[in-house]
Amino acid sequence: MNFLIAPIVVAVISGILAAAISIVDKIVNNYGEVNISINGGKKVLALNGGESLLSSLASQEIFIPSACGGRGSCGACKCQVTSDVGIHLPTEIPYLDKKEMAENIRLSCQVKVKADIDIMIPEDLFNVKKIKSKVLSIRDVTHDIKEVKFDLQGEEINFKAGRYVQLVVPPYNKIKGSTQRAYSMSSKPDDKGFVELLIRLVPGGIATTWAHTLLLVGMEVDLIGPFGDFERSETEATMVCVAGGSGMAPFKSILYDMFEKGEINREVWYFFGARTTKDVLYLEEMMELDSKWDKFHFIAALSEPEEESGWTGETGLITDVLDKYLKTKINKEKAREGYLCGSPGMIGACNNVLTANDITIDNIYYDNFA
Amino acid sequence: MKMTPAMKKAQENMLPGVIIAEGFLGDENKSIKDMMVRDEGEMSKAGLDFDEVADRLLYFLEEGRKGLGEPVTIKDKWLIRVVDPRGKLPCPFEDGIFRKMTAEIELKSTGEKLLVTDLSIHLLKEHHFIEGIGSQFRLEPELVKRVLFS
Repeated sequence: MNFLIAPIVVAVISGILAAAISIVDKIVNNYGEVNISINGGKKVLALNGGESLLSSLASQEIFIPSACGGRGSCGACKCQVTSDVGIHLPTEIPYLDKKEMAENIRLSCQVKVKADIDIMIPEDLFNVKKIKSKVLSIRDVTHDIKEVKFDLQGEEINFKAGRYVQLVVPPYNKIKGSTQRAYSMSSKPDDKGFVELLIRLVPGGIATTWAHTLLLVGMEVDLIGPFGDFERSETEATMVCVAGGSGMAPFKSILYDMFEKGEINREVWYFFGARTTKDVLYLEEMMELDSKWDKFHFIAALSEPEEESGWTGETGLITDVLDKYLKTKINKEKAREGYLCGSPGMIGACNNVLTANDITIDNIYYDNFA
Repeated sequence: MKMTPAMKKAQENMLPGVIIAEGFLGDENKSIKDMMVRDEGEMSKAGLDFDEVADRLLYFLEEGRKGLGEPVTIKDKWLIRVVDPRGKLPCPFEDGIFRKMTAEIELKSTGEKLLVTDLSIHLLKEHHFIEGIGSQFRLEPELVKRVLFS
């Protein structure tokens, strides 16, 4: 029986150590009740400390935009902390510029709430809510883009055309935790009981793979929103809009919203880039809008049109087509504004073309979370 | 095989949910050192050089970026689509931060595809790590050879 003594002793010591660690953890990491004061005390939340600022706020129904679900890899969940929470962490620094560092902008997923804390957030975020929606329809609008309509089941969403929501993707297959991804709403603000999103399959993408392979009509899905500040200005300036692929979403919302509200005296040029005819979505709808609205011009350009397609529209990269129209067709005497939706690379390239054609950078608006 | 503390930390960082939801190890439970030794052999067997493959992938990534999010045909042989989402990812070996850029490289004649990111090129070039078997971003040597060099 002597051979059992050593394992028993080890097991007892391990048990004692585990209990000690558990007790110490409860004492050391018990921060008790703390207060989060928002926007100079406009709202004060009392909660138990110890969690990240992002999840602490979410537990109280205040949602800071985040595209990675709090892993510190998107840099989206920025907010200003006006009380002392220590120096910036190495995990935050790559996402912040000098001005943001000086203003103590922080990644809310990286800041742990250990004591009372004061923060500043945009007032719009008080309007953000989590909605349990049900998938009403799923339709292929191209070979790799799905139009998904969500019924908000009696809830309403109030937003300006151009805003986005976060789609909450549940764990599936090897993906153990839930994930969030941002998608611009393609539905109109007047359709308050529904949200429509355009979801393009991204190679290796967690959310888009789920949406394209596992999402079914009738499934319940959480949406969080509205977020963002992308919207049309209230000027009379000519709108020069550029998008490709699912970047169509905010423009579909904005254009139909303008048309239905009778804002048709404003000149709008909408440049849409795709590779082939099979990559163009809503072509008929946009052409119909073009025919009904004198001052709206829809210009689709294909970079590699199929020979057999009979495509007679513009060809080439969308930036080259944009440049040609800015130089030859769009009235330079009138004020012009740029509106862009796409990847950082696409936005950078379009910014270069717009500024080279005398549209100043402060008159260019974009959402680059794509 | 013995792992250095830096490698042990890298292996922890590669688990699902630490840096990316699905992790870097695929279906494997081996130490990354063992995986790297095995895959150096696989690369050699396929006649591939890590630096040469990395340079080739970077070339495709740069060419693909010119499509501004739309696919681009290269030399009538490959179709490349580069997606450039917001955000950055740290290397699991903690020696750099990389854009979340993803490229899908398709050899048009066979339809075979490779998925590659800025980070996976760095892992290949600097650490000789091509991700575990079962990872959708694994740069399987034989597939790399067929898609990139045929």
